Amino acid sequence: MGQLTSGERDLAGAVLVFMAIMGVAMAAVGGSEPLGIHGVMVLLCSVGLLFVLMSTAFGPAPDPARLGKYYDDPIKVGVGFTLAWAVFGMLIGVWAAAQLAWPALNFDTSWASFGRIRPAHTSGVIFGFGGNALITTSYHVVQRTSRARLADQFSPWFVLLGFNLFCLIAVSGYFLGVTQSKEYAEAEWYADIWLVVVWVAYFVLYVRTLARRKEPHIYVANWYYMAFIIVVAILHIVNNLAVPISFTQAKSYTIWAGVQDSMVQWWYGHNAVAFFLTAGFLAMLYYYLPKRAERPIFSYRLSILSFWGITFFYMWAGSHHLHYTALPHWVQNLGMTFSVMLLVPSWASAGNALLTLNGAWHKVRDDATLRFMMMAAFFYGLSTFEGSFLAIRPVNSLSHYTDWTVGHVHAGALGWVAMITFGSLYTLVPSIWKRERMYSAALVEVHFWLALVGTLIYVFAMWNSGIIQGLMWRTYSEDNALVYSFVDSLVAMYPYYIARAFGGLLFLIGAIVASYNVWMTVRTPNPAPSPTGDDLPIGEHAGAIPSAAE
Amino acid sequence: MTDTPHRKLERSATGFMLAIVAAASVGGLVEIAPLFTIDDTVENVKDMRLYTPLELAGRDIYVREGCYACHSQMIRTLRDDVERYGPYSLAVESKYDHPMLWGSKRTGPDLARIGGKYSDFWHVAHLSNPRDVVPESNMPSYRWLATTPLKLSNLPLMLKAQRTVGVPYTDEMIANASADARGQSAPDSEQSAGVSERYGEATQVSAFDGVATNVTEMDALVAYLQVLGQLTKAAYENTAAPEKMPDPNN
Amino acid sequence: MEFTHDTLVEASKTWGLFYLIGFSICVLIYTFLPSNKKRFEGAEREIFDKEDAPWK
Repeated sequence: MGQLTSGERDLAGAVLVFMAIMGVAMAAVGGSEPLGIHGVMVLLCSVGLLFVLMSTAFGPAPDPARLGKYYDDPIKVGVGFTLAWAVFGMLIGVWAAAQLAWPALNFDTSWASFGRIRPAHTSGVIFGFGGNALITTSYHVVQRTSRARLADQFSPWFVLLGFNLFCLIAVSGYFLGVTQSKEYAEAEWYADIWLVVVWVAYFVLYVRTLARRKEPHIYVANWYYMAFIIVVAILHIVNNLAVPISFTQAKSYTIWAGVQDSMVQWWYGHNAVAFFLTAGFLAMLYYYLPKRAERPIFSYRLSILSFWGITFFYMWAGSHHLHYTALPHWVQNLGMTFSVMLLVPSWASAGNALLTLNGAWHKVRDDATLRFMMMAAFFYGLSTFEGSFLAIRPVNSLSHYTDWTVGHVHAGALGWVAMITFGSLYTLVPSIWKRERMYSAALVEVHFWLALVGTLIYVFAMWNSGIIQGLMWRTYSEDNALVYSFVDSLVAMYPYYIARAFGGLLFLIGAIVASYNVWMTVRTPNPAPSPTGDDLPIGEHAGAIPSAAE
Repeated sequence: MTDTPHRKLERSATGFMLAIVAAASVGGLVEIAPLFTIDDTVENVKDMRLYTPLELAGRDIYVREGCYACHSQMIRTLRDDVERYGPYSLAVESKYDHPMLWGSKRTGPDLARIGGKYSDFWHVAHLSNPRDVVPESNMPSYRWLATTPLKLSNLPLMLKAQRTVGVPYTDEMIANASADARGQSAPDSEQSAGVSERYGEATQVSAFDGVATNVTEMDALVAYLQVLGQLTKAAYENTAAPEKMPDPNN
Repeated sequence: MEFTHDTLVEASKTWGLFYLIGFSICVLIYTFLPSNKKRFEGAEREIFDKEDAPWK
């Protein structure tokens, strides 16, 4: 934060004071209710940040030469947030998985029961880990591909810290029983409003930074980040329209009812997968994979076609979560059709990534970081195929409500989202901290195998349990009676629940190894100043760097 | 470098953003817009009643504890679903559900028609420790519900907010919300008469947790579980046959 | 005109389809327009230009 100008420091100070007042107000009206506890948390966060800000407030004005460099300080903090949320979210996940096998593990407390920690796990990994990874890498990619420094120095911090405040309020709320019950959008109305504010700031920052770019053409990775930002805003607002029972309480009721709500929730839910867990991570793929492999993307045109395909088709696919329900039949069929069509742009992306590596397989063999990205592209292809398959009505009649869905989600979340993130982080960290490489290549290798084996155990356990469960539910005897009771099918699940928890544990250990490796990379001092000079944005020092395009 | 209007447009990427919005919004609009008129297709069911204040409070506890993460409330139009759980769910049955709780996973069984299948006593025993009743169960126990008093002062606020989002609660129902909650869990009390008057004769009045003198969260949750599938009889009168389960052999 | 459920469903089924086709054609034109070839090829290689060189 040392680079903030005096105007930016004043603005930051004003925002923090305002936040602190809001915190006091929430604490006052909420009392000992969850809203009051959240008020105290907002207050503490704002006052803490105010102290950090004050410690630099009366320092000298920042060096004007900073404008000739990229603004990487928020990225460094963002890497820390990403890894911290990864370990936290996955830890809760392993705990939740273990509770399904050994229900006593909630120690008979309300806050640790499965129904409350499950959203803490999903929000922790999707928003905490995934969201921070997206914001962090987007700051890096937009600066490098636009050859421009971030538009200002206040809003990157506002977005990053504000987003983490949202995650903190959301996740702590679930333990306290604050939830809307909307899957992957459980946070209550006040957290939702705050996220809208943060998101608008993110959007403005991104567009302003893009507007400073040198080339007229915007690199395709930025398209995916833009789609992620814009569409998530639309989804978030529509899905979370709600009426609080009182402005002094956390509880609210959504404006959508019954069958409408089901469509809105799954339109959101499936597009959260599309635009939160796919579009932004494809952006990482389209930047870090070619960079690491040192080969241009196989077909740039294909990446454009698949971009529009994904943006267009995904929005229709949500209703495949509602097959055979009270949702009108034609909506179910529409969802199925578009889900199957979605396979085309999805495989185009996965194929594009793998073909980029064609000719660099020796690098994939030697470099675990590149192997992470290769595996991510492979799992992306696999889980998008599985997704289209599961969206077909008769298949869905077997898979729906079973662990097969859970296995499918984790093939995507562990195999695709987490692996591309770790691959990107292992590329980004040495670059940002100006190190030649990660502290330990061996630990990256260890992490890769932990992640891969963990994912495979997890996914195979859930495939097996899901299919067995689905088949048991529909098994008829010769005299046309159901053969198995529900409890019979539950008993058959226990071995798989134990295996799943073990697979998840391996993946968690991998994330801890990664955090240690990053920590040591940052701590190890830089061996020698780089001989070729600094990594500079173009344009700020007009004339300093010859421009190629103009 | 001169900034012509066109160049400015390209720099700010406005057209590009509009294209993203145009591509992304149409799917949602096309699918969701017709659902605003879904009432045209949902049959008007005369006997559909509202959740009582106690049941609504129970529903909020069901939401708070994340029960929907493991239990669905949506019986699909498949033969095995119907034979296991009862007549398949109709859209009208969740027309007052803000939010809907159809669920996405059955770690435990579907609950859409659980109401009336078991006694209040069974539910209390099961919620207190599921393994006492179903030894193989992996459900968490919810002992503390029986010792946590229900916050009655919130009930009028809850009903009012429900009315704002479209549930037809009357002024009288809102004014009597707390009294009705107490009455529904205390049979033969003075207040219990008002509940059936306002919400219909079919409303179940019972000391749900076995203690009539106070209203606990256990009362509310059991009252809610007992009304699931009981708000209307429409599904039982629905004569359309369930869809055939797809035959894997053809 | 009255907005009944059936008319809305009808509209979304027809106009939705036209929209899809129209949009696809526009995307295809943009992608394969010969005059865009150079800019795409430039973008493909642009990310390798000097910017990462310092510590490679």
